[in-house]
Amino acid sequence: MRAANRTRTRTRTTRPARPAGRPRRTRLTRTEARNARAAAGFVLPFLSLFLLCFLAPIGYAVHQSLHRTERTGPLGLGGQEREVFAGLANYTHALADDRFLTGFGRVLLFGAVQIPLMIALATVLALLLESASARGVTFFRSAFFLPYGVPGVIASILWGFLYVPGISPLVEIAGSLGVHVDFLARDTVLWSIANIVLWQFTGYNMLVLISQLKAVPDELYEAARIDGANAWHIARHIKIPLIRPALVLTTVFSIIGTLQLFAEPMVLRPLAATIDSGFTPNLHAYSEAFVSNNQHVAAAEAVLLALVACVLSFGFLRVVGQRGNGDGR
Amino acid sequence: MSTGTYDDGRGGRHRGRSPVRRRTLLGGAAAAAAGFTLAGCGDSGDGDGGAAPKERKKGQKIQLSFWSWVPGIDKPVDLWNREHPDVQVKVEKVSAVDGRQYAKMHAAVKAGNPPDLAQIEFPVVPGFLLDNALLDLSALGAARYKDRFVGWQWQQSVFGRGVYAIPQASGPMGFFVRQDLFDKWSVQIPQTWDDYEEAAKAVRQQGAWIETFAPTNGNRFAGLSWQAGAKWYAAEGDTWTVHIDDEPTRKVADYWESLVRRKLVKTIPDRQNAWYKDIQTGAIPAWIGASWGDALLAGNAPGTRGKWRVAPLPQWQKGANAHANWGGSTTAVFTKASYPKDALAFALWLNSDPASIALLIKGGYGFPSAKKGYATSDLDVYRDFFGGQAYSKVFADAGAHVDTSWQWGPGVDTLYQRLGDAFTEALDDGSSFRSVLKTVQGQTVSDLRGKGLKVESGG
Repeated sequence: MRAANRTRTRTRTTRPARPAGRPRRTRLTRTEARNARAAAGFVLPFLSLFLLCFLAPIGYAVHQSLHRTERTGPLGLGGQEREVFAGLANYTHALADDRFLTGFGRVLLFGAVQIPLMIALATVLALLLESASARGVTFFRSAFFLPYGVPGVIASILWGFLYVPGISPLVEIAGSLGVHVDFLARDTVLWSIANIVLWQFTGYNMLVLISQLKAVPDELYEAARIDGANAWHIARHIKIPLIRPALVLTTVFSIIGTLQLFAEPMVLRPLAATIDSGFTPNLHAYSEAFVSNNQHVAAAEAVLLALVACVLSFGFLRVVGQRGNGDGR
Repeated sequence: MSTGTYDDGRGGRHRGRSPVRRRTLLGGAAAAAAGFTLAGCGDSGDGDGGAAPKERKKGQKIQLSFWSWVPGIDKPVDLWNREHPDVQVKVEKVSAVDGRQYAKMHAAVKAGNPPDLAQIEFPVVPGFLLDNALLDLSALGAARYKDRFVGWQWQQSVFGRGVYAIPQASGPMGFFVRQDLFDKWSVQIPQTWDDYEEAAKAVRQQGAWIETFAPTNGNRFAGLSWQAGAKWYAAEGDTWTVHIDDEPTRKVADYWESLVRRKLVKTIPDRQNAWYKDIQTGAIPAWIGASWGDALLAGNAPGTRGKWRVAPLPQWQKGANAHANWGGSTTAVFTKASYPKDALAFALWLNSDPASIALLIKGGYGFPSAKKGYATSDLDVYRDFFGGQAYSKVFADAGAHVDTSWQWGPGVDTLYQRLGDAFTEALDDGSSFRSVLKTVQGQTVSDLRGKGLKVESGG
């Protein structure tokens, strides 16, 4: 892309310098064409994958969400089935479903509590590991990051063992101290899931923040120290403002991740009678698609979920963008 | 028909209605889907619609894929593979937790690459028919083999003139109980549901819980309703009628609600880690289960060996003999199967050949659908676990007294999920179990209508 731009600039600047001789022009166009071809060659692999793996599925989902299956034949058995246009019927069906909407409320509550907690924890860990007095940095960095390497399903199974009464050592220890805990009860199960997500992703976010911290030039710290700033001042007035872009990025990723919450409730569902089929919007869409076999409604729900994720992510970016300008940065 | 003692009028009505229903269904099917059934009758080589099935040439080697979760299924399949070098069957194990195997199968059907054969339980056969996923085996002459199997189980996958699966096993229900603990606590084995309630109180006084009412276990709730005389689905003409909110089911719902509200039963999910732990420690000393539960208990609570016994299900009326079925499955051939004839041959062999049955029994697959090829005592695989009791006889008696007019309809997976969600909610917010039935009844009717079916809401 950059190569193509450079060429175009060059030809543009050279063109008026020479008389518009025909042979020259042809040669130039040929160079141009070759460069365009080269550019296309570089872009093509990305573009085709992007089309195939990103735009095509979205297009298919939108298409599915606007259709429904019509069946003929007695009792609906053995007849023909065909797809007919349904307009927005699948969307109204999804929006009329209490359980689907409750699921949205639940993940929003989850996000409002879990995301700030996780980002704050990740920031603290990053600052601690990047502070001058930190010891065993490599070890702790790897240790904190390690849970991210555990797939969500496995993590949920592991935590499941720690949550299920009768098996969980945690429940047992608490019980022997006279405290009755139930990690899978109606009011606690959401936060038990939050704990799994926290465990998994704090290290990852911490690493993103650390990499941004590493990019801060040492001179700034030196200058601050000469001005008499202590470690707290440096963290508060230099480090945090400078890793702001990374904080915004990790928050946006977390918002999207929260809305897509699926593996954890899916895995814990058989263990906990408190997780219903619409616990999260994604789980609801899954149930529609694969339990009830209503792929069309599921597609509509997926599209709605994507829209909400877009609105929240861009909304957040807008809010922090405005505040950023307000700071005069 | 054994429901008679509990409600004569009702039992009689069903006795009278059953043949009519079959005839109307048959007529409707023949009339409206003439092309479909006629194509089936005419040409024995071709199944209906879909991909063109192939006929295996002599000496040609083929491989069939078979999805199943039955423990030890690979043993009979290995035997088949040794005996039939040209038709190799490859088993792929699928997860049976929460109906995930069906999610996978439905997705595969949608994607156009289902296996050749799969294990499918009775309740979900109609759901697969809705997507035209199963091959009508009558086209291949399957009806000839009808007499090899128990009548009502064969009928579970007969719709209209089509035969859509070969029955494998049923799951007559029974009451598993820790005899040692019941003796120690001087609790009688309950014969009626009233006794059961008394037993629940007595067990609770000992600090244990007689059972769990797992809100998400739709299968068992269906079985208990079946025993009480419910009929959740009926097909008449071209219309499905849904009767989830009927009197027998209400009776069952009220009964369990009262146990739950008085905290006489737990409400944890069954057959999960916490439940297994309770079963191992005696914190839960009983289980209303089904014949296939012998392997489950013996495998998961080996330390309680010799202490369990099997009793018949408690009855609603003293001295009655009404029973029900939980689970039970078939081997079905998918419409996309490349070699339907060979697939059918395998399905028949697997479920009726004595050598295969012997191996399946060893694995613990349930109660054979085949009439011959085994003795009831062969099923006492875990005799030691049950203190030497010939426990399979209890299940055999139950199986002989199952109300065979019960019929499944489409969308049972969704129904179970609806029930599970609604019971979960009722446990949480204290709303009544009757309201659960009312909600689920309405939802099921609209779910089926949403699928483009003609549906009526029964009482």
